[in-house]
Amino acid sequence: MIFEVYNRNLCVNNIKITGVASSSMVMIGDTEAIQLASAFDTPPESLIIGPFVPLAPDVTPGYAGETI
Amino acid sequence: MLERLSNVDRIEVMVASFSSILQLGDSCIVDSFSRAIAVQREAEIFYGNEGNPPSFPVTTKPIPFLPITEALSYRVYNSNPVIKVHNLEVIGFSNASILHVGNTKKVSMEARVKHIRQLLPYGHEQDMR
Repeated sequence: MIFEVYNRNLCVNNIKITGVASSSMVMIGDTEAIQLASAFDTPPESLIIGPFVPLAPDVTPGYAGETI
Repeated sequence: MLERLSNVDRIEVMVASFSSILQLGDSCIVDSFSRAIAVQREAEIFYGNEGNPPSFPVTTKPIPFLPITEALSYRVYNSNPVIKVHNLEVIGFSNASILHVGNTKKVSMEARVKHIRQLLPYGHEQDMR
């Protein structure tokens, strides 16, 4: 594939954005390669209706577990 | 290849939280990773050390990328090499997100979110346990 780009004038007056979250990017400029990936998990069993049960404590080293 | 100049007159950002970056100027490689366990909980209790990320497969399962097999030739002709923005207003940046004014080469960003909803049984909204 031959991909040729002819850039003429590019002027934007106003950009208003409410929020940019979870590894996303607002870019004003050129780039060559952009690689984005996201994993999203909401299985039925993650909806828990019943008496409150705290999540498993954090045991991975270097996380919140050690400080508290 | 000659790259363009980004010209922004006014930037207004209220919140830049959770390792988000406001990059004003060129960069070469951008790499960002964010991992969240989002818990919606009806009981007002917060222990601070809850949630063991590796125990959820969504945080460890590799995301496959298909290799680009196509022969690609890429050519840019900038007759007016300026990107002009007068006004940029963003309320919030969060979770390893980036405002980048300028050119870059490689961008690789990844986000992993695990959602959990904990509701109290119907009619028992008052008691915590």
